Amino acid sequence: MIMAKDEFDILRSAAVPAPRAEARARAIQAALVALRSGETSAAPQGTRRGLRLTTRAIRLWSGIMPKNLIAAPALAGLVALPIAGYATFHLLNERPFAVLPDQGAGMPDSPQLAGRKEQDALARNAATVSPKQEIAPALSKMRVTSDGRRESQIRPGEVDNSKLMADQAADALPDAMTQPEANRDRVADFKSNRVRSTLEEPVSTFSIDADTASYSFVRRSLKEGVLPQADTVRVEEMINYFPYGWKGPAEASAPFNSTVSVMPTPWNDHTKLMHIAIKGYDLKPEERPKANLVFLIDVSGSMIEELTLLRSTFRLLVGKLGPDDTISIVTYAGEAGTVLEPTRASERAKILQAIDALQPGGSTAGEAGIQEAYRLAEKSFVKGGVNRVMLATDGDFNLGQTDDDDLKRIIEEKRKSGVFLSVFGFGRGNLNDRMMQTIAQSGNGTAVYIDTLAAAEKVLVEEASSTLFPIAKDVKIQVEFNPEKVSEYRHIGYETRGHNREDFNNDRIDAGEIGSGHAVTAIYEITPKSSTATVIHDLRYGQAKTNNAAGVANTDEYAFVKIRYKLPDGDVSKLITTPVTSANDLSSFAVAGDDQRFSVAVAAFGQKLRDADQTAGMSYYRIAEIADAARGADPFGYRAEFLSLVWRASALESGHLENGHVDCAGGKGTGLVAVTSDDLYDLDRDGDGIACK
Amino acid sequence: MKEILLEEGEVSDGELIGRARLRDEAALDALIKRHYDFVYRVAYRWSGNRVDAEDIAQEVCVRLGRAIRGFKGNGALKSWLYTLTLNAARDLARRNRRETAKAEAYAVHEGIFGEPHAADDLAEALWAAVRQLPDKQREAVLLVYGEGLSHSAAAETMACAEATVSWHIHEAKKRLRLAMRSLEEA
Repeated sequence: MIMAKDEFDILRSAAVPAPRAEARARAIQAALVALRSGETSAAPQGTRRGLRLTTRAIRLWSGIMPKNLIAAPALAGLVALPIAGYATFHLLNERPFAVLPDQGAGMPDSPQLAGRKEQDALARNAATVSPKQEIAPALSKMRVTSDGRRESQIRPGEVDNSKLMADQAADALPDAMTQPEANRDRVADFKSNRVRSTLEEPVSTFSIDADTASYSFVRRSLKEGVLPQADTVRVEEMINYFPYGWKGPAEASAPFNSTVSVMPTPWNDHTKLMHIAIKGYDLKPEERPKANLVFLIDVSGSMIEELTLLRSTFRLLVGKLGPDDTISIVTYAGEAGTVLEPTRASERAKILQAIDALQPGGSTAGEAGIQEAYRLAEKSFVKGGVNRVMLATDGDFNLGQTDDDDLKRIIEEKRKSGVFLSVFGFGRGNLNDRMMQTIAQSGNGTAVYIDTLAAAEKVLVEEASSTLFPIAKDVKIQVEFNPEKVSEYRHIGYETRGHNREDFNNDRIDAGEIGSGHAVTAIYEITPKSSTATVIHDLRYGQAKTNNAAGVANTDEYAFVKIRYKLPDGDVSKLITTPVTSANDLSSFAVAGDDQRFSVAVAAFGQKLRDADQTAGMSYYRIAEIADAARGADPFGYRAEFLSLVWRASALESGHLENGHVDCAGGKGTGLVAVTSDDLYDLDRDGDGIACK
Repeated sequence: MKEILLEEGEVSDGELIGRARLRDEAALDALIKRHYDFVYRVAYRWSGNRVDAEDIAQEVCVRLGRAIRGFKGNGALKSWLYTLTLNAARDLARRNRRETAKAEAYAVHEGIFGEPHAADDLAEALWAAVRQLPDKQREAVLLVYGEGLSHSAAAETMACAEATVSWHIHEAKKRLRLAMRSLEEA
């Protein structure tokens, strides 16, 4: 370093007054917002608009009111008024950095977005959805403080700002924060699938699962700063939450196409993943059958909070229907009542009026409501069309037949008549996840958890056709592994969807359905024969032989995948089979497609949240790395959101977010201590008087 | 004792950057906490007042958060921060120039020609003069004298040739000497 030696060296010694702690904290929050709001795109102008009015005022006055004005009172008297006016004007117009293009060291930066669009989105939000979303416009005025970070999650240039806005707005509701111990969510518990020996159990059978409720659950939990309960984490539902571009069939006669690939396992060098990706046929609009939908809406007292979200959700849905589709509305609370007799979707105003007139009250008589809904569905039954009861509830059926099994029986019976049932779960802390699962699974429907308007949009707008129009029902998958190639296998997820081997060919056994354009993914971790990763020893006293002993045909196949399904109005199943051979092998994990690698990252994350042994050695960092590299286009930001959840989980697990504390982030703190004297080592970086041990 | 443990556990900038690039908020948080004071100091030297310096520092943090995903240079964080800070400072100055030029000019006049200065105030007054220099000279002086960078390091930050920095410094010194003289006369 060539340090100049001259009279200007004193420049270095000039004192710099310390920055204020709150300015520092605000800057850090702003940075985190910028990180979250994404990618190479610039934050919208609005992010920073009007951010620093107070500071601007101080700056302005400190600039305008130096000693000279104080020293010259007469002059001050003369200029004070014009300056006050000027200051006001300045404050109204001045937006530091707002209009300047970013010159940030050659970093790519997307064009600035006019605040207009954002304003529009706000206005739209405020207009369509009242109490809950009223927070949205308020947010735009927030500083970038701990609350302000939500504001800037709006992504400019993305398809719809309003949904993210609403998402954040809903999250911002303080009263909705339910303490974990007070959580009344009812969740069925289950154990992760174990490793199975191919010789003893060569066949794995399961029902397809297009539900996504578990992911929303996990997201909600992590956003509230709590690691999700293992039983709420259903790995397959997390994987299937994300849209993937699997190759679909070209025509409706084959309702779906499956793509199988075998690739190295990122969390174990000695095993492989068999990745089965299924994509349903995407119905063209003109091919869509007529729909007869009965909304069964829970308006019990516990739904008060959710009614606004529910109204907005159903508005979205009504907008997706064709003019000839019919809609009916039944409410239940205390006693069931019909709010809207079957009405054609073209009478939009009438339907919306009925939705808006919904009032909360009383406790829930779910059974009577369901009976009434089925009665209406049968009344306007469309032969060959979609006949579906859409149940919106927070899940407490506390009057009538409350037993899950009784409900299941009613729904199964009605399913035979051709009326299916889908469940939309609303609410926090009171949600009966088990009930939702049970009734949706027995009603040939899907259970979707809607925690935000964004979730509603995902289900009802982006995926409307897959939610509403099934292309196949009772879809079961059976995989037979070849003991010559695979010594052990483990099915990742699908624990609650397992079937007996003999059920596969039994058409009376109910299974999941696939909607138009739906993507469903199943992943097996397989241990190639003679791999060092084998955990089960060979039997000493003879083996349970399979009929596929060594020497018979097909020895180079890993497995044989069979898919059995029925067409939506069919009673007899059809069968599709695919052998998995070395032709399906991928040489390395890296050569797998973005979608495949991303789905594996989600699988790894789900297993980690369930504390699975297999993924114990894999870090959250590695998961984030895989997911980040596989993000692809991600037009709706789902994958970016996933990444932020991975980091949240990572921080929660290592205790870094404990008590909202940030000092330990980069260190290896094991506990908290109070900082009482001078903080020589800068332990207490956020200045709250508490640091890590 | 406890402090030493934490120091050992300290993660390198490179690792924090790596994690922040994958959207690890805790990592970005730690990274900024580590470098905020540095950014603020540079911003303060440029702007000469705390409020502007805080504004600039916040803007740098935002740009850092936005751009870190694209940041590749592993060892050059400091240099990048200099660049971000000076860019942000210039942007703010350009924005404010119209409105505040007169007030600032008066303040400088007051600073240089006003009451006699103690040693500290001399440096302060000199800085006020530095802030009156053309942007490039102001930056060069800030980096070389204020931050103690070599001409070549300053050149890297300013994205120009080393000789250009030397020339800016030379020009700046001529003007500053003039200002110093009037200071001493006062």
